[in-house]
Amino acid sequence: MYEPAHGVAILARRDALRLALATGALGLAGPALAQGAPRRGGRLTIGADADPIGLDPVTITAFSSYDFTSLLYTGLLRWNAEMKVEPDLATGFEQPDDKTYVFRLRDGVKFHNGQAFDAGDVKHTFDRILAPASASPSATIFASVKSVTVVDRLTVRFDLHAPSAAFLSYLATNPTGAIVPRGVDGLNTAPVGTGPFSFVSYEPNQQFVLKGNPDYYERGQPYLDQVVFRFFKDQASLTSALRSRAIDMTWFKDPKVSAQVVRTSPDLVSAPGKTTRTFPVWINMKAPPLSDVRVRRALSLATDRAACLQTVLGGSGKVAAMVPESHVGGYDGVGEMPYYRTDAAAARRLLAEAGHPNGIDLGDYLVVAANPLDVACAQILQQQWAAAGIKVAIKPMETAPLIAMWLKGEYPTLLSVALSWSPDPDAIVSRISSMHPQGKGAGMADATLDAMIVAARSILDRGKRAEAYMAIQRHVAENAYCLDIYQYPLRWEAWWSYAKGYVPLAANIRSFVRTAWIDK
Amino acid sequence: MMRMVALRLLLTLPILLGVSIVAFVLMRALPGDFAQASAGTTTISPEALDQLRRNLGLDRPVWEQYLAWLARALSGDLGTSFATKRPVLGELVPRFMVTAELTLVAGAMALALGGATGLASARLRGRVEWIVRGWNSLLLAVPNFVVATLVVLLFGLYFPTIGIFNYVPFATDPLGNLASMVLPGISLALTVSVTISENTRAAILEVASQDYVMVARAKGLSRGTILRDYLGRNALTPVITVAGLQLAALLGGSILIETIFTIPGMGQYLFDSVTTRDYPAIQGIVLVAATVVLLVNVAVDIAYARVDARVSYD
Repeated sequence: MYEPAHGVAILARRDALRLALATGALGLAGPALAQGAPRRGGRLTIGADADPIGLDPVTITAFSSYDFTSLLYTGLLRWNAEMKVEPDLATGFEQPDDKTYVFRLRDGVKFHNGQAFDAGDVKHTFDRILAPASASPSATIFASVKSVTVVDRLTVRFDLHAPSAAFLSYLATNPTGAIVPRGVDGLNTAPVGTGPFSFVSYEPNQQFVLKGNPDYYERGQPYLDQVVFRFFKDQASLTSALRSRAIDMTWFKDPKVSAQVVRTSPDLVSAPGKTTRTFPVWINMKAPPLSDVRVRRALSLATDRAACLQTVLGGSGKVAAMVPESHVGGYDGVGEMPYYRTDAAAARRLLAEAGHPNGIDLGDYLVVAANPLDVACAQILQQQWAAAGIKVAIKPMETAPLIAMWLKGEYPTLLSVALSWSPDPDAIVSRISSMHPQGKGAGMADATLDAMIVAARSILDRGKRAEAYMAIQRHVAENAYCLDIYQYPLRWEAWWSYAKGYVPLAANIRSFVRTAWIDK
Repeated sequence: MMRMVALRLLLTLPILLGVSIVAFVLMRALPGDFAQASAGTTTISPEALDQLRRNLGLDRPVWEQYLAWLARALSGDLGTSFATKRPVLGELVPRFMVTAELTLVAGAMALALGGATGLASARLRGRVEWIVRGWNSLLLAVPNFVVATLVVLLFGLYFPTIGIFNYVPFATDPLGNLASMVLPGISLALTVSVTISENTRAAILEVASQDYVMVARAKGLSRGTILRDYLGRNALTPVITVAGLQLAALLGGSILIETIFTIPGMGQYLFDSVTTRDYPAIQGIVLVAATVVLLVNVAVDIAYARVDARVSYD
């Protein structure tokens, strides 16, 4: 595909080596055993780049809150380090038919306030999620749930309207599937969960303090007495804080910064994580010239995805299609995709066929100003497209209004919003269905694609489902409905080597703080 | 004098009302609202977004929202923050104290540095003057956030053992608190010191060429007396005006400096609130900032009368 630049290649190898050392015999014996016996006590300080916006898992919408809810609350299921779903508050489940799930619950689990956890709390949680007044973002996600019934104290049954392949993934995801206690209000400011850590205090912009939950149900865990999050809105400050050990662990938005920080100290462990985020160029196809598939294909042919990856991320990532590799049916970055080769001459020919022999001006290309990686990639795309006679003007914008336009499909021609990890690929591809307000707004009208997307939702077999999503991605690339450039980890995590037992998770939360310990 | 002060204070009320209206309308005229801004790219249904807006009262007409806010504000209730779900007033007071401290520290540094360099370049002239003016041009060209970022990176890279993010509240550790204000204070003060320095220099040069200074010199008064009673006092009026005006610049600069040095003040609060469209919080911060600027202006007017005998408000 491409030759990585010399320095970058060395770095990547070093990172990989360190990651291998850090996670060691992970697959065989679990993270804790790989680094000797865990030590009890101590405090882990984590540098966070954003304050939480609310702490009630039923109502929060902001990604910045997930770091906290994932330590405070737990759900029936959870993701393990290999991104497989495993039981958590449940001990197991049965599936009498495609539309029914019966979960058996752990006995003796207590919430942080001492209240005993039982099936009633599970029902309470889903009643809250599905009540329109809660305005819960999880309501659409669990729209497939018809009813939740308490069978007995430790058994709960979910009846679905239709088979749902995504159901278990969403139950395993925090905060979506996090269980809240009944009869407790004000979780936004005083969170009460069953998680490995309980809430101590929060001073906005300063710190968020959690302490180990002595009643946590995993034997011996958590090992840490205290977890403190400190907030650094500025990436340079975050870097300095890590170097000066004001924090023990953090994550960076830019792989080059992460590589540079780790290079300065051999005692820093860096983990690139799995590719969970894609950088797409969304296309508004409502009006000419982009309603013409030949113009869109020309755009795709004019794009050198590998060059973008190399220049912006120093090669720390992969070429992307709609679904990132860490998902069911994710694209591995090397497989054949229609119109993925770079061929400026072919692009020019297609443009001429479409009636634009002298090139074309597509107008504004909107990008998120707050994300330097996005802006950098947009600039490279601008140059690549110019070589094929396609002109765009880059317009960096503030995040909130840009997303508002994107969600309604009301942007002039091109727009980029990177997509973060979501529990199920349907959440990604359904955005370009003509049944979704976003796809409809952007001028989508492809009944074949709509049918493919609907069908994939209820395929329960993992292998068949993966095939269905590959077919959808090929269809999207064939018609160039959306131009995916590269996929990469949302964050590059880094920590001092005295923090042990930690594993980064592709779900973009720090679940494995529960197995971490400090050995200074 | 008392009448003037009372009148000026009374006048601040309609100004504050105007400021609150402008802030309220401007924020709502911006595209995107809290529901959308906080969700980002998270998958959320339009129905849930609408319900969230209803829960926050954002579905009502803007004037209705404003009147409801005003009625509560007049009774001392600035509403509840969308983001933290806590009363805005409770969030604002401690942050204001932090920003006030940072502004005072930076202001004192700027006055000391600006006054000293301005005085030196006016009195010593020659090489000193050129060094000072070169230094000032350099500072004027480098914005405070560049200075702050460089300081942060410098310490992180070469002096990692010196903690620069050790903010502690004044009540817990007064000395540690002051120490944590030094670097952010300098970053904030440098640019402002230029204005003070240049104005001090100009004022002193102007006063020095006045007849009464020549007379004083002819009378054989000592250099110290001339500097203190003739030059200093007469040159102070424009310097006070400028220093007062620079307070607004310091408040504005604190947004960046607090974010870079992670100081939990009003500036960082404003940054967060604007990004998330946390209207009640923005409204509260704007109101407090406007009040401070207005009060400083009144204070500057009072100070005129104290230093300049020609100014009388009666």
